[in-house]
Amino acid sequence: MSLLCRTQIALSEENINLKTLRELCFNGIPFEGGIRALCWKILLNYLPLDQTLWESFSKSRGNRVYSQFLKEMIIQPGIAKANLGLAREDVTLEDHPLNPNPDSRWNTYFKDNEILLQIDKDVRRLYPDMAFFQRPTEYPCQLILDPQNDYETLRRRVEQTTLKAQTVNRNRSGVTNVSSPGKALNLYPSNEYEVLPNGSEAHWEVVERILFIYAKLNPGIAYVQGMNEIVGPIYYTFATDPNSQWKEHAEADTFFCFTNLMSENRDNFIKSLDDSQCGITYKMESVYSMLKDKDLELYLKLEEQNIKPQYFTFRWLTLLLSQEFLLPDVIRIWDTLFSDQDRFHFLILVCCAMLMLIRDSLLAGDFTVNMRLLQDYPISDVHTILTKAKELQDNS
Amino acid sequence: MAKKTYDLLFKLLLIGDSGVGKTCVLFRFSDDAFNTTFISTIGIDFKIKTVELQGKKIKLQIWDTAGQERFHTITTSYYRGAMGIMLVYDITNAKSFENISKWLRNIDEHANEDVERMLLGNKCDMEDKRVVPKAKGEQIAREHGIRFFETSAKANINIEKAFLTLAEDILRKTPVKEPNSENVDISSGGGVTGWKSKCCS
Repeated sequence: MSLLCRTQIALSEENINLKTLRELCFNGIPFEGGIRALCWKILLNYLPLDQTLWESFSKSRGNRVYSQFLKEMIIQPGIAKANLGLAREDVTLEDHPLNPNPDSRWNTYFKDNEILLQIDKDVRRLYPDMAFFQRPTEYPCQLILDPQNDYETLRRRVEQTTLKAQTVNRNRSGVTNVSSPGKALNLYPSNEYEVLPNGSEAHWEVVERILFIYAKLNPGIAYVQGMNEIVGPIYYTFATDPNSQWKEHAEADTFFCFTNLMSENRDNFIKSLDDSQCGITYKMESVYSMLKDKDLELYLKLEEQNIKPQYFTFRWLTLLLSQEFLLPDVIRIWDTLFSDQDRFHFLILVCCAMLMLIRDSLLAGDFTVNMRLLQDYPISDVHTILTKAKELQDNS
Repeated sequence: MAKKTYDLLFKLLLIGDSGVGKTCVLFRFSDDAFNTTFISTIGIDFKIKTVELQGKKIKLQIWDTAGQERFHTITTSYYRGAMGIMLVYDITNAKSFENISKWLRNIDEHANEDVERMLLGNKCDMEDKRVVPKAKGEQIAREHGIRFFETSAKANINIEKAFLTLAEDILRKTPVKEPNSENVDISSGGGVTGWKSKCCS
């Protein structure tokens, strides 16, 4: 029986056997039938195993909880902002833009803007080789785009923040020739990103909203560059689901799956944990200690050349290899990672396998050649890499 | 071991706020091209370019760092081995200029004392969006006794000049030393890598 059939059968059980599903998905989820999105939602501990609950679950999580987040984090502050702007005389009495009180709503607003602008910069650069993220979504967020609502959307907020910053700074530097608002709104003239008309939004704008909500709900970590590269493949998978009933909820589903994945990965993004047992430094070193165990000669070579794990494994580990391969290959690697209960340990095995598969080149190369190999990994056949990683796992 | 094709090895580091164009500056210099679609640098990236100065082949090993605050613990560990540091801001982004003093303090704390520093005000092709006057850049550079260029990776203004000037400044104070191994530790090794032997080792 084909893998597709077996996976479909596993998914048709009323109560899904997680162990069976993991074993099947570990070897790659078939592209056909749009089952990958479904499998990821189960593997990432988002959808319950009892599939009679799916419909109500997706509705309640997707529509209710996430919509509530949108209302609290984006719509209400947007309305408050609009009102504050209108009724200025009232505002100055209690709260105003220069209020130094850390509880000031304006203070929060400005801080959020910094985060939003950082997210904005990065999501516009998401998978630039692919058209997908620049294209409009079939399911723009109705709650946000409702033309009846006259409040500040994230899009408007980014535009206005940049516009204001420019106007103020121009004045300060004594330049009186302030460019026309239309011109100033063209934020990325060199990048030639198309601004979609009102009423539609690009896929990257959906990703921006997911990251903004995550940052608001997790102020201790907020937004760190690279998170966009983790949301990207998940959202892509969900937003291209052939099943339109699921596809419609891609935004909310991505948010919750991303949150679940980050609950295991978030320590890598927290600076103060860098040198602790659960931080990224320890994980980067585990790649080398595993290599030392599996391939001493190669380990000694890298040590001798002073190629530290930080030089390449930081990106490999924090981004789950999403910048090292093309998107379809990243997705294939993630099938396996998501299927492994101890996925971040398996990731270390994958990194180790990647090193061992190019051992001959590394043993022959000098520092420069080797740094290039590691920063721009030469093997694109991820199947070979995953097979090697599994072999390492079985032999340990 | 392969024959060395260069006389000297200089290690340079690019730092500055996120989005000021560090990766584009480096890409212009190493590949003489401009690409607006760079994804954000995570952790650290690495490029090599060999240049010729005063009859000597100099291999520049250039490290490109992530700008966001979170990455500082990771990136500051690279400061120590660097012989030259390029500190980049964006002339259309006031905040990136305000942060220059913070970056300079970082250099003081983490880099070698004799590191060559240079300040770059990038994106100078975008005159209509300029918010940092050139004079301000010149002033802060003067105060700290470092060189300053306004650059544009897009229009290819002053990029090569900046790198070559930095390399010349390092070359000027490079003592003639015994041959050294290439595998110099950028994170903990200090000082200047000396003359390279031209023969096989």
